[in-house]
Amino acid sequence: MDTPYPTTATLPDWLDPTPWLEQSHTAADVRHALGTESPNEETLAALLSPAAAEFLEPMAARAQALTRRHFGRTVQLYVPLYLSSWCSGGCAYCGFASDRQTERHALDYTSVAKELDAIKAMGFEEVLLLTGERCPKADVDYLRDCVRIAAQKFHNVAIEVFPMAEEEYRILAEAGATSVTMYQETYHPETYDLMHRWGPKKDMLNRLEAPARALSGGLRFAGLGALLGLSDPQYDMLALYRHARHLQKTYWQAGLTISFPRIRNEVGGFDAPYPVDEKMLAQIIFAFRICLPDVPLVLSTREGAAFRDGMAGLGISKMSIASKTTVGGYGDAGSEEGQFDVSDARGLHEFCDMLRSKDLEPVFKNWDSTYR
Amino acid sequence: MLKLGNIEFNSHLILGTGKFSDTETMIRAIEASGTELVTVALRRFNQDKPDDDLCAPLAQLKNVKLMPNTSGAMNAKEAVRAAQLGRELSGSPFVKVEIHPNPHHLMPDPIETYAAAKELAADGFIVLPYIPADPVLAKRLEDAGCAAVMPLGAAIGSGGGLSTADMIKLIIRDSNIPVIVDAGLRAPSEAARAMEMGCDACLVNSAIAAAKDPAGMAKAFAMGVETGRTARNAGLMPKSDIAIATSPLTSFLG
Repeated sequence: MDTPYPTTATLPDWLDPTPWLEQSHTAADVRHALGTESPNEETLAALLSPAAAEFLEPMAARAQALTRRHFGRTVQLYVPLYLSSWCSGGCAYCGFASDRQTERHALDYTSVAKELDAIKAMGFEEVLLLTGERCPKADVDYLRDCVRIAAQKFHNVAIEVFPMAEEEYRILAEAGATSVTMYQETYHPETYDLMHRWGPKKDMLNRLEAPARALSGGLRFAGLGALLGLSDPQYDMLALYRHARHLQKTYWQAGLTISFPRIRNEVGGFDAPYPVDEKMLAQIIFAFRICLPDVPLVLSTREGAAFRDGMAGLGISKMSIASKTTVGGYGDAGSEEGQFDVSDARGLHEFCDMLRSKDLEPVFKNWDSTYR
Repeated sequence: MLKLGNIEFNSHLILGTGKFSDTETMIRAIEASGTELVTVALRRFNQDKPDDDLCAPLAQLKNVKLMPNTSGAMNAKEAVRAAQLGRELSGSPFVKVEIHPNPHHLMPDPIETYAAAKELAADGFIVLPYIPADPVLAKRLEDAGCAAVMPLGAAIGSGGGLSTADMIKLIIRDSNIPVIVDAGLRAPSEAARAMEMGCDACLVNSAIAAAKDPAGMAKAFAMGVETGRTARNAGLMPKSDIAIATSPLTSFLG
């Protein structure tokens, strides 16, 4: 049967993690990785291995030292605003997938402005605008106008939307967007095909190449990630690392961030085939900090308060807080159902107090609109 | 294997050919080093006076390719002209872009070097620029089409070793093209260290030419480069860096 989208992609050589998955690791390999001066795929593979689970404390110590060296005692804050829950995608794990029986909303421009004003009044200077997959209710023109509104109010406007062409990214960059977040969800081709049941998101390589197109199109920062739980985390995390390194070497002027979204079976309606518990998530974050010492690592309110408090400054250097995953929700407008459940529902002040109690400074503004 | 442009080399040592007491000593050192690539300044080409010419004796060496360099050029324009003349006379596609307008410290001019390298790469040369150990300049030159970058370890002829090691490590980390340490190396152990750090090759001149026994030192540098490369591939034992915190950082994980 002909399909407009390739169903099973083959990973390009620069991304394929399989050579490092075939190796088994001992405690000696983990010690070796922990002390290396030039981390690479081998280092990450060792630190992600089951053998490294016994080394969480020394990994945390090294992750904390590196985080302090590169980011000081600061944690950068941002907040997401869901613009629309309309979606053409068929992601098996998502509350906004097009087959879900949920009321759909898209904020009109007046509501967008009101929501952004409410967020601004909280003190944020970085806002992340989100939509689902490309659809007529939330297309590039709509996004461009929303970015323009946001850019009048915020220094840093990030977008987490559908993959676009380079020219479309350029339109958004010119409208004032500085950052793009594009999670690959999973780098494992067969799993990707299984999880993305229909729609343009079936085209795995199109998504994979989107951050590069965004950077070519004038966005300054690209956020990467994989949705932990969909596939073997070692496979996905090694491919994520390789993706980041490839972009660092190719788009050497671009800033990267890496996020660690995780499907939590206990709070969602979807059972992850490869569940990742908190210990494994911590191990993954420590490993990334050690292997990418100067890349901001991000943790959202998908995670609970105790875990987030523990990880702040311990590898993690950027966090969202006071987040709504409903469409709107900060001002007057707001839908009832969110894309996923927020596990850390604390308010901004409470969260900042926590950071300060750990000798960490919450940073709201770390960019200036002069640069766009 | 060292790959520069489309040409592969077994040796990871490149020799400079200035500063030798005589041509015969230079040739013996080159042979002892096992190098397959030598750089020679266009200003040392002298077809009219064979006993003053460095090009002809080097061109006769089997298994050794020539890389004319633009040493003496004050700016990009002069370097481009020197490169074109060097290609015409030597037939070599390689050029080492070397522009150091200050005749005393001989520090490379990053602005003129970039301009010349970009023009020469567009003209089909296999361009190897000699540069300050600057990670941003290195990426700019990679984008401009250079076949390698050659950051200095220390000032030319200074024997200062790898005083720029931290910057060179940053260059190596993000480079898609070979990184060759050029200038500053005094001892073979420093060449070994450069290779252990992940450099792809070393370019040495003064340390060999000014040694009591240049051929002996050339052989020692070849061994140093090879030792460092072998060690890098074998995987160096890391420095012990595993401190156990007295108050556990991970107690929140349960």
